[in-house]
Order: sequence, then C-alpha cells, then structure tokens
Amino acid sequence: MSLTLERIEALAPDQVSLAAARKLLKPSSWPTLAEGDGLVWGECQGSGATPYRVVVNEADAGYKCTCPSRKFPCKHSLALMWMRAEKSSAFVSAPVPDWVKDWLSRRRGASSAAAKDEDEAQPKARPSIRLTEIPEAPTTADPKAEQRAAATRERNRLEREAAVIAGLDDLDTWLSDQVQHGMANFVAQAAQVCRTIAQRLVDAKAPGLAGRLDALPTRLFTLPGPVRPSAAIRELGQVHLISQAYRRASELPELLAADARQAVGWTITRETLLSDSGALRVNAKWRVFAVLSEAQPDRLRRVETWLWCESDSDSTPSCGVLIDFVPISTGAATGGYLVGDQIDAQLIFYRSSIPLRAQIMTLNKGAEHSSEPLAVPAEGLRASYAQYERALAQLPWLGTIPLTFRSANVRRNGEQLYIDDDESGFSLPLHTSQATHALPLASVGPIDGIGLWNGYEFTLAWAETQLGPWVCS
Amino acid sequence: MGRDATRTLGVLMNRTTLYATVLPSLLAGTSRYALPELVRPANPSSHGVLEMLSLMGQALRFERPAAPDSFIVEQEIKDERKIVADNLRRPLIRLLTAKNVTDHPARALARSFDLLRLRPHPFDLPSIDAFVRSNAERLGPTAQHWSDRQKSDAETQSYFDPELLDESSWAHATLSRRVAYLEQRRRDGADAARTLLESTWAQESADARFRLLETLQTGLSTTDQPFLNTLEKDRAPRVRALAAKFLARLGAGGESPALHACLERIKQSKSGLIRKHIALQIELPANVKDQTASRWILQAFADVSFRELAGAVRLEEEELIAAAAKDEPLLLALALIATSDLRLDLLELVVAHLPNAWEKIVESGLDTLGTMGESQRQCWQEIVVHPYRKDLPTIYHLWDWLQRIIDAQAPASVMSTVLHAKLLKKIPEHECAVWFELLAAMCPAAQRQELRQQLADFDQSVTVTPVVLLDILDGMENNRTHD
Repeated sequence: MSLTLERIEALAPDQVSLAAARKLLKPSSWPTLAEGDGLVWGECQGSGATPYRVVVNEADAGYKCTCPSRKFPCKHSLALMWMRAEKSSAFVSAPVPDWVKDWLSRRRGASSAAAKDEDEAQPKARPSIRLTEIPEAPTTADPKAEQRAAATRERNRLEREAAVIAGLDDLDTWLSDQVQHGMANFVAQAAQVCRTIAQRLVDAKAPGLAGRLDALPTRLFTLPGPVRPSAAIRELGQVHLISQAYRRASELPELLAADARQAVGWTITRETLLSDSGALRVNAKWRVFAVLSEAQPDRLRRVETWLWCESDSDSTPSCGVLIDFVPISTGAATGGYLVGDQIDAQLIFYRSSIPLRAQIMTLNKGAEHSSEPLAVPAEGLRASYAQYERALAQLPWLGTIPLTFRSANVRRNGEQLYIDDDESGFSLPLHTSQATHALPLASVGPIDGIGLWNGYEFTLAWAETQLGPWVCS
Repeated sequence: MGRDATRTLGVLMNRTTLYATVLPSLLAGTSRYALPELVRPANPSSHGVLEMLSLMGQALRFERPAAPDSFIVEQEIKDERKIVADNLRRPLIRLLTAKNVTDHPARALARSFDLLRLRPHPFDLPSIDAFVRSNAERLGPTAQHWSDRQKSDAETQSYFDPELLDESSWAHATLSRRVAYLEQRRRDGADAARTLLESTWAQESADARFRLLETLQTGLSTTDQPFLNTLEKDRAPRVRALAAKFLARLGAGGESPALHACLERIKQSKSGLIRKHIALQIELPANVKDQTASRWILQAFADVSFRELAGAVRLEEEELIAAAAKDEPLLLALALIATSDLRLDLLELVVAHLPNAWEKIVESGLDTLGTMGESQRQCWQEIVVHPYRKDLPTIYHLWDWLQRIIDAQAPASVMSTVLHAKLLKKIPEHECAVWFELLAAMCPAAQRQELRQQLADFDQSVTVTPVVLLDILDGMENNRTHD
C-alpha cells in the first residue's frame, strides 16, 4: 500500500501537527532523503543539537522518529510521508542503514494508527491537508511593543542576576557548614543536604549549579568508598570556584566569564548561538565516536554525541560534543546518530575557554556510516593526559574531556581494568561500567583509540585493534 | 583568581603543607581540626575556609591517578576457528539479544558455529553473554574461556578445540566434548576407543562413567564383554544397569530384573482363524491411568533391549513387531526400545503399525536420542514424520519437541513435506511468530529460499526474526572469514 494524502490525514493526531509538517516540506530541511526495501528514511534538522532521524515503512505506514515529541506521528514523520506521497522530493535509492535495521528488528507490528473511528461518541474534526494551505495572517511589527518587550527582558535579567547572587550567598553559607562538619560527614549525608541546596539554587534561578549539586551524591557513590571524601573536596571546591568566578566575571577573561555563566545556568538558545558572529565555527568531516546518555534528576535524559574531526586541516578544536535533552518519558535513549557515523557539517561552538559543546550549524551532507579506521594523533596516553592538565589550568571546573592514545594496552588488576601506556608506565582506570564490555581488549595487544576522562575514570569509547575496531556500547 | 592585587597569599604554600595541614582539616571538619591561617580571604569573616576548599580541590584534581604495582597476565588461548564475517556481527547481536524470541534461533546458530568451525567475534562476547554461556562448547576455546571467566583457577581447565582433541588431551576437556570424542573414536575403531575409556575409568565420576559408557552402544560387540563384566560391581546403580543392558544385547548375562518386570506385563494370545498368529499386548498396572500410560511405558522398558525382549518371548525381532501390531502401548514400547538400541530399521517397521508414533513418543516424555549421530537423528525424524504425509500436525509443541530432540537441521524430505503441504498457512495466526522461528531454525540450506518465499506472504512483524536467521545462516555458510 503506498502512502496517500488521505492516509496521512487519517494518521495525523491533529491539525496543528499537519501545519507543522507542512513547514518541513522544504528539501533544504532534509539533508538526507533515501529509499530502499519498501522503506523511506531521512534526516531533518530540528531545534536539537543533532538532526532527527525518521523512517517510514510504506507498506503499513509504520514510522519512527528520534525527536522527543509526544505526538504520534510527529511532524517529522508526517512530513516525510507527505513528501513521499506527493513525490515532491527526490529519494535516493540506498542500502538500508543500520539504524533503520535496528528499528525494524524491534518493531512489534504494523502501525496501529488506523483511520479514526467514525462512530466515536464525540467525533473530532479530521485533520485536513487542505486547511494547512490557508496562509497565516501576517503580523506587522510594532516598535513600541518591541521596546516594551526589550525593557521587560532587561528587567527580568536584572532580577535574575540579583536572585542568582542571593543564591550564591546562601551557597557560601552552605559550603562553610559542610567544611565545618567535614567531608566524611558530608558524604554520609550527601543525598539529603545536596537536595536542599539544589532546591534553593533552582529558586535562585541558578539551575546549572543546582544540577551539579543534585547529581553530586550519585557521582560520589559511583566511586570507591575510600576516595569519596577527597572527591567531595574536589567537587565542592569546584562549586565554590564557579560561584566566585561568576561574582567576579568582569575581572576574568571573556571566555572564562562565559564558562562561569554557563556553569551557573544561563543558557544560550540555538538562535542566539547561530547569530553570534564571534562564535567559533569549524567546517569539517566529523566522526561520531561515542554516544552517551544519562537520566537526570529533572526527568530529562541528557544525550551526548561526541565527534572527532577527521578533516586534514589543523583547525581546532579537534573534538566536539552535541548535547540534547529529551524527556525520559519518550523512551529515547540515544540521539539521532550512531557510533561510526560520519557527518559533513559546520559546527558552531559555544563560547568557552575549552570549546567542546557545539551545535550543527549547517549539515553539508546527510550522515553516512564509515568503516574507516579512526585516525588519532601519534601521541601516547601520558602526552594526551598532559593536554588535559593544561586545559584544566585554563578551565578549573573542566568536566569530561576526550583523550586519545596510541599503543596502549587494556590490563587488569583484580576486577579493575586500566588503559596502560607501557612505554611511560602511565595508566588510567577504566570506568567500572566497562569491566565486562572492555574485558576482551585485555587479550588483543596494543590498541590505538579515544575515550572520555572525567577526572576519575576513563570511559574507553573507540579502539583500533588487530581484530578490528572496538566501540563502547 | 582574578587580578585583585590585594588578595595575596599571606604565606607561600607548598604542596606538602597543603596536604599536611589543609587536607586533614577538610576531611575531619574545621570544627574538630581548624584550618591554618594561610590565606587572607576576600571575606574576613569566612577565615579563608572556602578558598582553602577550592585550592585543595584543585590540587587533588591535578593529582595523577596512581598506577597499580602489577597487572594480571592474561591466559593465551589458542583458537583456530575463524571469526564470523563482519557483516553478520550486528545482525547476530540483534537476533541473540532480541526479546520475546524462542531459543530455536540461538540453538540453530550455535549448531552452525560448531559445524562450520566459526566463532563469534571476541568483542561481541559481552553483548551475547547469555548465548555464549549456554553454548560455549560449540563456540570454540575463546568463547569457553569467556564463559568460565568468573570461575576459580581450580574450576577452569585448559581449552581445547574439540577437533584438536587427541589421546593425550581428551581427558582434560569437558565431559560433553569427551563423550563426543569417544563416540567418534568408537565409529573409527571400537576396541581402541574402549581401551582409551578403560585407561581413565577409575578416575571418572559416576555421571561421567554413565555417559562415557553409553558410547559403547556404538559398535557394541563381544570384545566389549570382558570390560562390561567388570562393571557388575560398579558403585553406581545406573552404570550397573546400563552394563547389564549391553550384556543382554550381546546375549550374555542373566535375565535382567527390568526384562522380568516387563514380561510380567506382556500377555500372549493367539489370533487368526486359519493360521494362528501370536498376539502380544501390555497389561497396564491398575494404578496407571491412560494419560500417564506412555510415561510408564518409557520407564518400564528403558533398560530392555530389542534382542533380549524378542528372545524372551521366543520370537524374531520382526515377528515381535508383527505380534504387537494390534496393541498401541506395546508398539510404543517397541518404538522406544528401537530408538534406544539405535535400530532404525526396526523403528520403521514399528511405525508402519503406529503411524502416530511421533505423538506417542512425545507423550512418553522421551527427552534424548542418546548417542545417535546427526545423520541417524535425521533419519529417525524422517521415519516418525513420514506417516503423516501432507497431513502434518499443526501442534507447535510436537514440532518444538522434535526440533529439540533432533538438535539438527531437518532432513530435506521432511522440510519438503512442510513446504509443499503449505504448513505455514495452516498455523494459527497468533502462533505464527514462534512457528516461523522454529521452521527457519530447522530448514536445510537448500530450502531456505523456498521458505523465504512462503514467509513473504506474512506480516513483517512475524517474519523479521526468521528471515534474519535465514540470512545469517546463509551468510555463515557462504562467508568464512578472517582470524
């Protein structure tokens, strides 16, 4: 059964979804449109850091999209079906990619979204594609309204700044209390005391610091017991550094001040970032070397897509990370990309002393899976770690950072795995979560690769070995 | 931090001082262990406490992680099997970790790995850990080592590929591998194999002795008799019983208690008007109900051989079958004995009188075909399925049992019957998914394409797993790849 406009109208949850889908009918919104084996799929740039991946089965209109929308089907799925039904865009014949095969293997059955039941007690108006053709009434700019809005925004900003400062004062008091009672005591009561101050900081409109403190107990308890008190010193010390840096932002270098504001919780919208002419832009081919996701206490899932620059130029940074937040309730555990995908894109980096977080500004070409080995710099683990130390000196509250290495070995000491540089005798402990998955690497000899260092444990992301590539799953 | 020139340190602090005086205070709490006055704080009332906290925190962050004194030296595993092709790895992982899938695909894949002497990629072992632990012996030494990784050194053993076992190493392999090795040796040279068994007999556990003794069924001859005689006083009752059964098959040894008990239940009569024929029938015990009769028969006749039963009723083996022709329970007993005795010729004669032997055998609870080789098992399957012709049963439980007990691809004749009878179209819709997995698992290579064509008529949601299985099995057979 081929897709028809009538079928799409029947599937659409409401008129708003159809109207939103109409706005996505531009081919420029879809760097990838492909077909094969009765399926059509594509990538659509949305408001998130990573483009959304959409697939539709033409036979039964089954669909899947990686966007966090709670409407089913979402506007991206509707738009893809729409373009297919109208044949308004060219779909390239291509082999079915792995991410589509993954979806197929998990499908439970045909799409259950059938035509709406006409006998419902309170029948709703069926969405109509024709209605989406009615143009929206144009809005004219009102200078006075703009002025009023700008003044309101400035007032709100000042109020927030004052609230944040008040929150930081309370934070100082709280920190002093913890120091007075000692870190051993703090660790024992971390969950309780951190929750309290985190709530205060949320009220003070400092969500970045609030989130950091809210997540602190969990972070501590992933570490071995004996090191938790000293880890608490590290973490709380950083919190104070951020607090002080925020207060004295005018005395700091511009990028460090920006880091402090971001750490406290001031966000920059995608639109603002894209319009920032001073933001770092790098146009290159990027390989996805890790996709990590973590559930947060605020019921959002943080999805990190880590990218390694594969272009020949010496442009820096050589790494970037796309961060998306999706509601846990959507069930999405990963972003749109899979490890191994290569993206030809221009990234725009958030301002930082150590630029890492980025968004895709322009997708030059849809992502394609690459089986080429990942080429990392010709330096050992110790040299790579030294770069981390230099970065830490520039950004004292530096979080997770990628480290590359050549000719290292995975070795065991008891149940703990290490990445060990034989030549220098330098080694880093692997994340305990990798104790099983990385164990086969202990038997393959020297490896080259890349991973993520968070100050405590190294998460091995990708390794080139004599048996081929190993990737973190 | 910053450019405030007034915030200079009161005293130059070195790392040693920091660790010696600041760290303990922060750990224990300043209420118990006061901080030294080393920093002139921005806020005098804070006494530099938070500055110390940040300074100490950063000093700790710059501490390089300590390397362990030593690392474990990994055991080197010699594994000559080829690693499965790269393009099959992802589909394999998806299939073996899918939810709501029967174990038939996994069993078929394990068989395929073994027959083709392939192994999973070592990097995939964690992802398919459950599959590896259940089928390690079929997946090669690397997989076996992985499966044993949490065992102590005393529990683990050296790893040998079964095809590399020889007389010097066979005793160190796992029991099932040793049984398989000995069975093969019995086919190649029965006496030499028995001699090998005798060499380690005294050190074997009771379970090992029983399972290894079963291999003597292959190529059983009078030269085995002296060894069997020595087992009359074996410590394990089932070893003694099995030895007695073999002796009875050889026509040696006294009447076994099992045979005596069976004969008490078999009634003889004469039938026919012109020519009198002997007719035999089983008289079931009063406490055995119809629904448990088949199970009773399996247990009652488990230790009886065809030859000794025929001899006891003074009939030839074929005559015994003819005499039982009108008695279903006795025919079932004979089918079970023929199976146990590896007498497929006799089984075929029994099934001619008992066309539903398959169903009756399932009822009996039989769960193993003993030491039958793969080709014998397939022949066994042909015999029990053949009487149904195109009127194949559509009871999943029967086919599920059959596939488990055969543990091999179905013979081409059986699969042809399944396909030509369009069995797929007769299956209840709500059972399609499990059926299709089973059929894909049992389908021989030459008939996979025909099965795919029939599966194409069904919804993808119930065919995706079997089709992927067929593709992987084809891929494994077509693509042997690198080490």
